[in-house]
Amino acid sequence: MKAVARLVVERDGTGRSVVRDLRSVSPLTLMPCPAARHDEDPDTALVHVVGSAAAPLGGDVLELAVEVGPGAALTLRVIGATLVLPGQRPGPSHTSVTFDVAEGGRLEYLTEPTIVAAGARHHASLRADLAPDARLRLREVVVLGRSGEQPGRFRGDTLVRRDGTTLLCQHLDLGDPDLDVSPAHLAGHHVIATDLLVGEPDPAEPAVGEWWSLVPLAHGGSLATALADDTVTAYRLLDTATAARPGLPLRRSRRPPDRAREVQPSVVAVAANVRA
Amino acid sequence: MSADELTCAAGTAAVLCLADSRFPGGGHAHSGGLEEAVARGLVTDVPTLASFLRARLRTVGALAAAVAAVAATAARTGRERDWWRELDVEVDARTPSPAQRETSRAQGRGMARAGRLAWPSPVLDDLLAAIPRPHHPVALGALAGIGGAPPRHAALAAAYLSVSGPASACVRLLGLDPFRVNAVVADLSALIGRISATAAGTCDRPPAELPAPSAPALDLFAETHDRTHRLEVRLFAG
Repeated sequence: MKAVARLVVERDGTGRSVVRDLRSVSPLTLMPCPAARHDEDPDTALVHVVGSAAAPLGGDVLELAVEVGPGAALTLRVIGATLVLPGQRPGPSHTSVTFDVAEGGRLEYLTEPTIVAAGARHHASLRADLAPDARLRLREVVVLGRSGEQPGRFRGDTLVRRDGTTLLCQHLDLGDPDLDVSPAHLAGHHVIATDLLVGEPDPAEPAVGEWWSLVPLAHGGSLATALADDTVTAYRLLDTATAARPGLPLRRSRRPPDRAREVQPSVVAVAANVRA
Repeated sequence: MSADELTCAAGTAAVLCLADSRFPGGGHAHSGGLEEAVARGLVTDVPTLASFLRARLRTVGALAAAVAAVAATAARTGRERDWWRELDVEVDARTPSPAQRETSRAQGRGMARAGRLAWPSPVLDDLLAAIPRPHHPVALGALAGIGGAPPRHAALAAAYLSVSGPASACVRLLGLDPFRVNAVVADLSALIGRISATAAGTCDRPPAELPAPSAPALDLFAETHDRTHRLEVRLFAG
């Protein structure tokens, strides 16, 4: 399956952020949420990404391109966990997400966990190009396998550039037995959670706990990382890390920390039902 | 022996000198995250050390090898100061941990200081004018290139150093049998060779296209170690 979805958000004359263009293709179904029906900032556009078919499966190529115009604000929220499965076709599955945020623009990309099931091979790439004063927040969680399952392979590429300068470039290789168990890589953990924030005040000093850290990047932005054995702990550690940011972060997750985050196995079941 | 062969042999000798633990670049002060892994009880014996080193080689080592290879190529062909600055930013972007960036720059500075006297060159002066405290693999690759080494050999030294330092640190930290630790490093030879060959294959790419392997636990260890190092006594600086 190949799907290319596109979303353009602009700021209108009244200061509201509105969806100007939306091309939504199953399984990447984009659902704008009217301001009257959500409790977020009414000037921020809220769009849900709903997986409307079982995806990604082996051989799938899914692309999402998002543009945020000057001064516009978008919250892009993925609904439900994403279960990456092997498919009938040979070869890995690919997802490619690109963000382009113009001057004064703001984008929050809040995902739910990506679970890499046994036998899956998945390559996820995310690229963000930011104007000098654009703001970005990315929150991502990868879970290696469902409960008690040997995970498939996951390769994640993240590239964030601001005004032509690379702020963060990382390739994460998960599901490789040599790396997963190594004390230098995942040290046997099954969940990795990250939260990147760019365009807000950065911490002057890193903050660390046993399995989490919040670090200022060299050329702007700060990255929180947590390693854990389950998603509940991963989110808790990530919240601890992001709380060490100076001032108020854009917004913490709307949900209370303990609700709807137990991915193994309840959310998986929900996700499977949605995509059936 | 032809002039080319002579240059190549001289370059190999330079790389041996750079990869020697007696090279006075300050590398002995760093454990590459191993001291923290030992303090946490994650590395306790030869098998856990081998697992640590293998992943370190495939991540930090592969990045260092790729950076050293492009730096060696740049030193041999000549690059503008802006190019060295661009390389510096790209290495920063692949090193999210401030403690690791600091360690890398401290080692790079130490290496450049020793190398300036050993292989004086306007190329090195130019690099240091652009980046006074270069990252370790940038300094290593540039010196190897100035010494006449091909990019592949610069990458080989970088990959080897990514595991040889932590391995010898482990002997001091855990009192492991040095012969068995040495055998662990020797066992990584094939992987070191493959990683340096891959790095040599990307030696003429722009800095933005360098690989970016990450090692999440090493990033965490670097920050924890840095904090502990300031509060209590540790044997290694990083």
